[in-house]
Amino acid sequence: MNAVVLYLFLLKATLTSFSGLTSLPMVRNDLVVHRHVLTDRELNTAVAAGRTAPGPNGGYIVSVGYFVDGIPGACAGWLAMITPAFLIIPLVQYLGARAERARVRSAIRAVLLAGAGLLLASTVPLAREAVTGSFTVAVTGVSVALLLFTRLDTIWLIAAAALAGFLRALAW
Amino acid sequence: MREATLGRLASIFLRIGNLTFGGGEPTIAALQRELVTKRDWLTPEQYALAYCLARITPGTNILAFCAGIAWAILGWRGALACVVAATVPSAILVVLLTRVLGAWANDPFASTILSAILAAAVGLMLASAWLLVRPQLKRAAWPRAVALVAVSFLASWKLGLSPIVVLGLGALIGFLWHPGGEKA
Repeated sequence: MNAVVLYLFLLKATLTSFSGLTSLPMVRNDLVVHRHVLTDRELNTAVAAGRTAPGPNGGYIVSVGYFVDGIPGACAGWLAMITPAFLIIPLVQYLGARAERARVRSAIRAVLLAGAGLLLASTVPLAREAVTGSFTVAVTGVSVALLLFTRLDTIWLIAAAALAGFLRALAW
Repeated sequence: MREATLGRLASIFLRIGNLTFGGGEPTIAALQRELVTKRDWLTPEQYALAYCLARITPGTNILAFCAGIAWAILGWRGALACVVAATVPSAILVVLLTRVLGAWANDPFASTILSAILAAAVGLMLASAWLLVRPQLKRAAWPRAVALVAVSFLASWKLGLSPIVVLGLGALIGFLWHPGGEKA
């Protein structure tokens, strides 16, 4: 897949998502399910790489691009990540008042909820790939608990998971 | 107070955009401190408007927020320079991390480590979904929130509907079924 086509696919995903990983279902649908240029494991690795690096969330798109088409793909991913950001400028200019209307706000919130549902649905196949035994179940469970109940930085969580994996590999 | 120039503004975004861990909220808090409180380059009202609109701008909210406040300070060239400054170094880091994690996949020792990292990534996604839903459960409209999440989940998982269709339906349902009397 060339970088321009990849850019358009990833842009479609970022343009239709409103928060962090909500672009993931679209990416998975296009690149894993239909085009077969990415595997679930690569997608999962991309999520880990994106969340381990500091900086804006949504950086996993860069990693997805890299898996599909190397450095040109990573550039396509980066462009797809930043392109929608500039849409805020006409919004700031003209649409400030409209977001106050109850129906518009309600529609925005509903889209956010639908995005959460989609995110859960796309977690299912990734979990089948990654969560395969009591050890990985425990890692997933502890991760959820730490993210929800502490203010721990994502980087430390990923580092702790890597350490746990390292200790387990030693123990074998 | 020093005047806002392209170089000074971009260097703030370079530092905060690439060194802040933990995603959107800490970054937004750091930018508020630098641009509103410490330098007075932005009024609290401009900041609040960008904060609200970033949430309804597609894509990564924090990048839209950066583009919005940088535009308010220095126009289009400010927005472009700041978004580039905030994303390029971390994008390079993501590629390097991808290479490391990808190279590990075939080594049995390293793949045990990788499987733990991937399991943590699944946890991240579950927590992320919950954090999207949680603010809306506090309102009286919680049955609507639960229904929307459940229907979207099933429409995608069981019926295999395309995400764009699910989001479109979500928007339509939200527009028509809006929590009565709520002013928030």
